[in-house]
Amino acid sequence: MNPWLAVSVAGAELWLLAEKAVYWPAERVLLVADAHFGKAAVYRALGQPVPHGTTATNLAVLDTLLARHCCEELIFLGDFLHGRAAQGSASLDALLAWRHSQPHLRMTLIRGNHDQRAGDPPAALRMAVVDEPLLRGPLALRHEPASHPTHHVLAGHLHPVYLLRGAGRQRLRLPCFQLGRQVTLLPAFGAFTGGFAVTRKPGVQLVLASAQGVWALP
Amino acid sequence: MPCPDYAKRWFAARAWKPFPFQRAVWRALSRGQSGLLHASTGAGKTYALWFGALNAWAKPRPAASDKRRPAMAPLTVLWITPMRALAADTLRALQVPVDELDLGWSLGLRTGDTNSAERARQTRRLPTVLVTTPESLCLMLAREQAQVELASLRLVVVDEWHELLGNKRGVQVQLALARLRRWQPQLITWGISATLGNLDHAQQALMPEGIRVQGANDKTLKVDTLLPASVERFPWAGHLGLRMLEAVVEQVEASHSCLLFTNTRAQSETWYQALLQARPDWAGLIALHHGSLAREVREWVELALKQGQLKAVVCTSSLDLGVDFLPVERVLQIGSAKGVARLIQRAGRSGHAPGRPSRVTLVPTHSLELVEAAAAEQAVAARRIEPRVSPQQPLDVLVQHLVTLALGGGFRPDDALAEVRGAWAYATLGEGAWQWALAFIRHGGLSLLAYPDYRRVEPDEHGVWRVPDARLGRRHRLNIGTIVSDAALNVKFWSKGGGGKSLGSIEEGFIARLRPGELFLFGGRTLELVRVEQMTAYVKRSSGKKPAVPRWNGGRMPLSNELAEAVVEQFEAAARGDYHSAPLRAAKPLLQVQQAWSALPGRNRLLLEQLKSREGWHLFLYPFAGRLVHVGLASLLAWRLSQRAPASFSMSVNDYGLELLSPSAVNWQAALDGGLLSPANLVHDVLASLNAGELAQRRFREIARIAGLVFAGYPGAQKSTRQVQASSSLFFQVFRQYDTGNLLLSQAEHEVLSQELDVVRLAHTLEHIHGGALDLRVIGRPTPLAFPLLVERMRESLSSEKLADRIARMVGDLERAAGPAA
Repeated sequence: MNPWLAVSVAGAELWLLAEKAVYWPAERVLLVADAHFGKAAVYRALGQPVPHGTTATNLAVLDTLLARHCCEELIFLGDFLHGRAAQGSASLDALLAWRHSQPHLRMTLIRGNHDQRAGDPPAALRMAVVDEPLLRGPLALRHEPASHPTHHVLAGHLHPVYLLRGAGRQRLRLPCFQLGRQVTLLPAFGAFTGGFAVTRKPGVQLVLASAQGVWALP
Repeated sequence: MPCPDYAKRWFAARAWKPFPFQRAVWRALSRGQSGLLHASTGAGKTYALWFGALNAWAKPRPAASDKRRPAMAPLTVLWITPMRALAADTLRALQVPVDELDLGWSLGLRTGDTNSAERARQTRRLPTVLVTTPESLCLMLAREQAQVELASLRLVVVDEWHELLGNKRGVQVQLALARLRRWQPQLITWGISATLGNLDHAQQALMPEGIRVQGANDKTLKVDTLLPASVERFPWAGHLGLRMLEAVVEQVEASHSCLLFTNTRAQSETWYQALLQARPDWAGLIALHHGSLAREVREWVELALKQGQLKAVVCTSSLDLGVDFLPVERVLQIGSAKGVARLIQRAGRSGHAPGRPSRVTLVPTHSLELVEAAAAEQAVAARRIEPRVSPQQPLDVLVQHLVTLALGGGFRPDDALAEVRGAWAYATLGEGAWQWALAFIRHGGLSLLAYPDYRRVEPDEHGVWRVPDARLGRRHRLNIGTIVSDAALNVKFWSKGGGGKSLGSIEEGFIARLRPGELFLFGGRTLELVRVEQMTAYVKRSSGKKPAVPRWNGGRMPLSNELAEAVVEQFEAAARGDYHSAPLRAAKPLLQVQQAWSALPGRNRLLLEQLKSREGWHLFLYPFAGRLVHVGLASLLAWRLSQRAPASFSMSVNDYGLELLSPSAVNWQAALDGGLLSPANLVHDVLASLNAGELAQRRFREIARIAGLVFAGYPGAQKSTRQVQASSSLFFQVFRQYDTGNLLLSQAEHEVLSQELDVVRLAHTLEHIHGGALDLRVIGRPTPLAFPLLVERMRESLSSEKLADRIARMVGDLERAAGPAA
């Protein structure tokens, strides 16, 4: 089983991680799309009970990844906070506490559609906040998967999942990376996010992410 | 007695003589007694209660003064019916005597269809009699002033209680009654129920004490079977019974007006189309009726039926209940009726005029159903009617009800607990579950920290629990009810510059598989999909061939225990050579092959057949316990076998039995000797065998909706329920991971066990098998009983290997499908 799969995207070597993130060794960057921090808090504010724990899970996974890979920067490809109600919630307190444990890490957020509504994260999180696209080497980092005239795009937004069907009526829904000619999509990182089912198309490579590892579909 | 006897006056004016049961109900009502009226269809039952109420409380209409209309009596009677369609008809029936006797009572209707003007009028002043549904009653209880508004109530009548008893809507009625009784200890409750196998329970669930009144004797009921010209010895159910089309056309031709009941909406569409093709001259004389058609279409069909304009209507359970269609002479049941009560109910839709017999003709769709028809004839004659049981302590309904109470004037927990325990379903509700429910609506869970920032209901400074946020109150009112429908799209004709006529609704999943330009059959028409927009599928007429037939998810009812037992008795009769009934005689060629190659099933002997084919090692067994139990049993057996040695099994089930198929060798005899069918550790093994809780997740969708975890959306601004569906599965995963103590999860598990898999019947089946003999036959080729299982194979593979291996194997499957790498 592979905890990650190294692929070459527009000449850059990227590691697609089973934890639904991308590590870029040459740049020492960890890339995460659609974390949706505070989504549970937003639901609770609307009167829908969601148990707590999703934020802690997200942060624990980030800790694991930062410890395993040599990272200087963490870039969020949009949808960092889920909604306005996430500001000032218990989830944000947890985020702030976590930020203190990572004093040397640079953090960048590329604003996504949810961030427009939620507003920028508080200054105490010490994040650089930019609009898309953020050009880095051969890649254009964005939230929404629109192509770029000169650069290969790395984006999120869609929360791609793939429905595996096996013999009998076995079905398994797994988040996936979607590698196209011009755009590469990351799965949603957040523990409390849904998914958009994608299908296989010629010229598009799907890589499934599960707790057991990553799997490239033929 | 000084009171006027309206009943006597009205009946005398018509020269009618009241039935003894009507007098009995009138007497009971005059003494203030509650009770259950057990009566089959017919207007007599309505008048039994209605004149009891009029005699007890009605006064002549007061004279109108110049300025205002006369003041009618305040709310006195609530009449609850399970169907909106029935409500309007009931209202009309109740109105007639009130007008003729010139009484000072006003009557009103309150259902989901009631328009806002009428609702506003009722808000100012409720009518004396309100005909309503369980959902609308709960909405009334959620009003701040509910107690004042309902203070003058004297009688609640629950019509067609047998339809509500066995489901969560019935539990809602129980809770609503408990509330009304607390406000009004003298409240009288009457239920009206058709015949059930357990009337005592039906009565207990509705009222703490009361009398039982037996209605007029059941009318004559005739059951017969349409026999096919020839019998296939290896039956399969793939053609929806259209082989019988010609014979059915003859029957329809011969009768003035008839109903053709089918078991699924897809089957009704197919049959309607086939009838029209066979007899194009019947266009306009026959019609189609099922639950997905637009209300206007259904109402038109019902009206035309009532007026005797239709020769035949092809329908589904959508016409099981509802208004009486006097002109209907007979009923044809296409395929298995699945249950005795259902067959009697359907038969009762014919011969409604006094003195006319009800007649139902069974139309077997494959030759094994001949045996079932023989069984059904016998079981109806013996009135072996299935029981129905109220759900026990469904916490989702309780959670919804508590929020309703909080909105309807608020509640104090101690009083509320006593009140809720007054409802049968919660009579033994434990302190733990109660505290959990309170905590859940307050904080989201038992731990204060579990759900930060969340509050739905809170005690005020006087300790009265209320909903503090008006927004949440509005949302709750929209969410009241326990009917959770599948995601459905409206079907409308496409017209430029505006919406065309609405045709009905169709499941989202079906439309999602169609591309614009493709054809499908709906409402008896061939339609072409034009486009899908805002939860609407726009279509146009088409004359193309080969339309797809939609599949609606929906009740694939299992064969009832009563009918299944009767079926086994028929096999036993055949084994004795006793071919007494016509359908059994017709099935003789099939039964003889079964007997020669293997054996016929019996009550105290489980028939098993083992077969080695090119596919692998098969085991067929025939417990006759219904589809649901066989699904559970199949996964249980596959799981137990795979505990002995890692293996994958394909499974196939029908109402009669199941098949396990392994690609590698299995010694079935050794497995049976080793306790494969043991009743021990049943629940544990069944739970372990369920594929990663997938079933529970499906069940959780309904529970999450009822308990208010997910929100179906505001009317008009409706987002696709598919999104809600997706989020309910997301909720399920989050709850499983972060709040394992959430009792709604246990409820989902419990409901899967009790309803989806019917674990009680499964346990009973295993006990029964355990107490009898096993009869394992080695067969060289599939027998008539085995063949349908082979053909209709639903492969449900189950493996003991780990998830990772599973993924690897699935990927491997895809690899092979993709062919060798270039």
